[in-house]
Formats: sequence, structure tokens, C-alpha cells
Amino acid sequence: MSSTRPSGPPLHLRVANKKAYVWDVEDIAAIRAKHRLCGVFTGTLPHLSQQNLFLGVPMVLLPEEVVLLVENESAVLIDDPKAHLEPSVAELQRWSAQENELAQLRLAQLAAAAKDSPAMSDEAVRKRKERELKRKAAAEAKAAAEAASSESAETHSSIFKPPEEVAAPPAPVDVQYTVVIPASSTPFEWYNDSACAYTTIQSAKDAGIWEYPSDLHERAKCGVFRGLWEQGMFMGGGIKFGGDYLVYPGDPLRYHAHFSASVLDSPTSALTPMEIVAHGRLGTVTKKSHLLCGWDDEKKDVSYLSIEWAGFG
Amino acid sequence: MQAHPSYPALAHILPKYPRAAGSVFQAYNDILHVQNWTDVQVVDLEGVSRAAITGKKPKTDVTLHVIPCSLSETLSFGWLTTTFTLLSDPPEIFLAITSDDASIVYYKLSRGIVKPQV
Repeated sequence: MSSTRPSGPPLHLRVANKKAYVWDVEDIAAIRAKHRLCGVFTGTLPHLSQQNLFLGVPMVLLPEEVVLLVENESAVLIDDPKAHLEPSVAELQRWSAQENELAQLRLAQLAAAAKDSPAMSDEAVRKRKERELKRKAAAEAKAAAEAASSESAETHSSIFKPPEEVAAPPAPVDVQYTVVIPASSTPFEWYNDSACAYTTIQSAKDAGIWEYPSDLHERAKCGVFRGLWEQGMFMGGGIKFGGDYLVYPGDPLRYHAHFSASVLDSPTSALTPMEIVAHGRLGTVTKKSHLLCGWDDEKKDVSYLSIEWAGFG
Repeated sequence: MQAHPSYPALAHILPKYPRAAGSVFQAYNDILHVQNWTDVQVVDLEGVSRAAITGKKPKTDVTLHVIPCSLSETLSFGWLTTTFTLLSDPPEIFLAITSDDASIVYYKLSRGIVKPQV
């Protein structure tokens, strides 16, 4: 599809540990809208790392997506660790100064936000104070009673004593604020990826930063992925339906998947009738067809068979 | 099997492909007597060592193709495409999967990317 050839500069996919990450939100948008690839968001919050409902950058691309982008000359692979050069002292000092400036700025914003936040009404403040005083008085009375009853026995077991009454902390101000988590390395002065960009899969393999596709099965997956993509399909991971891909006729935010797909490495690779039954029946009850995608590594060609329950028998 | 009323229609096939005889016999009987298809014919497909069954669903006029196989066989993508070719490339074939306990299930295989029925 010549229309999908790149028009702008290639995207930079940051490869670390043989996975390709995309950090730039503009790049992510281009990958989705222009190149019709979904990737998977993997970024999470440091203090909520188990939640996986709302993930963000970085986006990790499926290896098939990476191969497709690079083969289309829409992206280059960056050896990300190598792109971080040794920073000079001056660079580090500038970076540190900038960080300080940012921190000051954030503190100032925080203070401004606290000032601007709608103050509690006088009435509410008065009520809160009353409540606190009541609570305090009750606690003091209780402590005094306990002390009186056990004074003789327990004066020395001080570690079990409640701590001395501390002045109540000032009522917390409920301010919404954002914490900036540094993510992308591109703003660093010592980040330079020009010397470690690879424009072909083979060159990236030779440099030892990339492996996929390394065998027949992976070649078949890349071939099938490209075949479906060239038909205008969007592909997501297929694990939920027991296949290799879920196949959407358009952007997954706009369409339900019409197919789940499984990849057959060669015209002779084994396919049991039980697989046909399992895929076919699951697809039918989920209003999908199952696609058997047969790869022919000699012809570099993919052909498809759609499975559906026959409706009788 | 030879005494079965269906046997004469299959007599030229079953001895020729003993490995597929069971599933061909079972699928033929199911199509003819359970599904009540009409114009049921047996087509010799040497390329896949078995016979296909063609016919029309009751009250329809489209000839459909059924290819029997046993649950215990191992097929391949190439085997399925060969079957399509041997049947002169119909848009779809029905794979009749038979098992030892005489149960049978049919799955429709279509060439290419065919959207599911709504």
C-alpha cells in the first residue's frame, strides 16, 4: 500500500531489552491514527503500580507492529541505553538548576492553589473546631480516668502509654495537584540517538538490540499481521478469545472485533478438528468469526479461512 | 455396514478409503436422514482420500458441500484449501466432524475474510 508510505520523518521507537517503547504522545497518536496500530499502554503510577485500568505512556508495541513500521520505513529502532551518553558536569549542573526551578515553580503553584481554593465557610470552621474540642475533652477525661485507676501499677510501663497529647495538626487543605514523573529521556542534553538508530530490522538484529522475527512461527505472525493490516484491519492481542489476534474492522474504540485470528505457520502445520470446533464455537457465541490465517513462507503469502458454526447438526 | 440401506450409495467409496469410511458413512446418513437434505450426492475426492457429500438443505435450492472428517484426524490448512480446490472452489464448505460415539458437528469454512452473520 503505497499510500501508507511515510510522509514525515520516521518515528523513533526506543528499544530496551528487546522491547520497543513509544514515549512521545504525538508519536502514539500518529501510530494509532496514521499507521492504524494499537500498541499497549504499560505506564502506571509508581505508588499504584498494581492498578491496570488506567495506563499511560510508555506504549509498548507488539513485535509484529514494530516489524511492520520499520519495514514500511515509518519508524527506526533506537538503541535506547546507548543513546544516553555520559553527561558532562556542566550538563548535569544545568539539569539540576532546571529541576530546582521546576520544584520552586511547583511549590509556588501549590501555594497559589491553596490560597485560591474556596475557603471553608466561617460556620463550617466554627463547627469543626467545636467537634475537635469535644473530642479532645473526651479523650482527656478518659486518659485521666485510666491514669487514676492504674497509676500505682503502671507508672513505669511507659512504652504502652499513649503519646503525650500533640497539638492537633492544622486542618489539611484539600488541594488537587499534579506530580510530574519524568519519563522520556529526549529532553536530556546528553541524550543523542543519532548514532544508534537502525532503519532496518536486519541492522537492528546485527547490532544485537532486536530479534523478532527469528523463526518460522514469528515470520508467520509478522506476515499474517501485515496481511490483515493491509486489508485495513486493526489488531489487538487475541488472548481473550484464545487466538493470536483480535481483528477489528476499524479503530477498536469505534468497532467491536469481528474476528479472532489464529496463525498457522505453514500449509502443512497440524490443525486438529477439535481446534476448529473450539474456535468456531467460541467465535459464534461471541458474534465473531474465527480466522484461520495460513502463512506460506515460500510464497510469502497469507490466505484466510473463516470458521463459523454451520447452524445445524 | 454392508447391510445398511445406505451402503449401496457408498459402496464405490468406502472400500476405497477405509480410513475415512467411518466418518463418510456417518456424515452421509446424518445429512440424508437427520438433516433431510435433498439431491444428496457422493463426490469422490482422491486428493484428500475420501468422499464429499453434496446436497441441498430442505426447501432451498443451493447446492452445499460437506466434507467429513474424524475428530481424531490431524488436518492442515493446506488440506482444507486442497478440499476447496477439489470441489471447484465453492464459497464455503461444511466440515462434518464425527466422533466414535456417533455424534457429529458441522462447521462452516469460508474462503477469505468473511464477516460473521449479524
